[in-house]
Amino acid sequence: MIALSVVLSAVVLLLAVLVAGLLRSHADILKALHDLGAGVGDPAGGTLTATSSATSAGGDSFPLTMGPTLAPDRDSISAPPVAGVTPGGDAQAVAPATDGALTLLAFLSTGCASCAGFWDAFRQPERLGLPAGTRLVVVTKGPEREIPGEVAALAAPGLVVVMSSDAWTDYEVPGSPFFVLVDGTAGCRVGEGVANHFSQVAELVRRAEVDAAAFTLGRRAGRDVGIDGPARESANDRELLDAGIRPGDPSLYPTSLEDLYGPPDARMPVAPRHVRRAG
Amino acid sequence: MATLFAHGIGAGLPSGFEGRIVKRQGSGIEVANAVAQFSTFALPSDVGDFGGGAVNLMGNNDIFAVLFEYGSDSVGTRLFAHQGMPRPLGTSDFQPHVLRRGLTGQSGTQWFFTELGRPFTLYVVLGSHARRSVLVPRVNRLLEGLTIEPSSLPAVAGVPWN
Repeated sequence: MIALSVVLSAVVLLLAVLVAGLLRSHADILKALHDLGAGVGDPAGGTLTATSSATSAGGDSFPLTMGPTLAPDRDSISAPPVAGVTPGGDAQAVAPATDGALTLLAFLSTGCASCAGFWDAFRQPERLGLPAGTRLVVVTKGPEREIPGEVAALAAPGLVVVMSSDAWTDYEVPGSPFFVLVDGTAGCRVGEGVANHFSQVAELVRRAEVDAAAFTLGRRAGRDVGIDGPARESANDRELLDAGIRPGDPSLYPTSLEDLYGPPDARMPVAPRHVRRAG
Repeated sequence: MATLFAHGIGAGLPSGFEGRIVKRQGSGIEVANAVAQFSTFALPSDVGDFGGGAVNLMGNNDIFAVLFEYGSDSVGTRLFAHQGMPRPLGTSDFQPHVLRRGLTGQSGTQWFFTELGRPFTLYVVLGSHARRSVLVPRVNRLLEGLTIEPSSLPAVAGVPWN
């Protein structure tokens, strides 16, 4: 009986030491988090965000960034080019911010179960329900993280696929599947997020397309009209007629530089005269 | 700046350009060579080697450029006698009649040359000939960033009268 009591006491003592050690370790972790500015119940308030500030032991604040750091010329809405290789070993770069249309970047993987539905959906682009003129570009991680043969097996013929790990960093992609919509007219991202079904993505793109058309109607029309020879000629004719220039107008048949730019004196910039008035 | 490299061709793309460097699927005894295409607008996925299906999408401020490689049997022929890629280009190098598909308002230029033992043609289209003074400097910035690696194939003597 005495022996049993001794053993039990030893066990209790051992457990007490163990619990004390765990509590000490927990306290150290909380203290470290507090020093980083993410302490629980921090009187300064605020929660840890993607980019927050932390305080060093010396009391100096410094930015705390979670995830890969962006290049100095990038921000949360910039839409840099996506450059990489194709599953077939060719090189490809897409510049979504320079074209006047909407570009939907679909960040997918070969291994994620959620992505499988999207790979399948992209085999029938006519059923995607995207607004006309919207460009779809699938972006996977680079060949160092994905097997090109597997990507090629999933990609439908004609689907633009760029393998680029840098693009995942540039667009701060948290995981796959992830979608980013870029408005080429505004030159920036106008939406991004996760979806379970492509119909949800298509609906968001449709709304963005309506918004973009409402705010950039003039510029969009200017780019679309005249993309082909006869159409461009017709558009030019309309603009000339609106400006009062009809067929046979002398301004259409310049014979010298003066006809184009006016007399030499008129071409020279006139320095402003500062006249000081008396009293 | 986005950079591309494939099939012995490198490109540092200036802002506003996109592009691709591909090799077509060869058929039979045909040997596929490299084709590099660059544009300031969205390149369709099924664009022809020299811009078929793309040049008709160009706006007035757009540029389309192709670097097309020929077979090694073209090395040494008169057509490819010019050594090195022609750069920089001048505004006078672009003419409306130098277009594979004549579209009103556009102009183009085409050069055949050999660089490091590889025969190429460079074909560039401007969306507006009237804006060539603005567009040609952008073309030259693109050309500055293009690099060609030496051919890994032995040169084949060409037919002298070709």
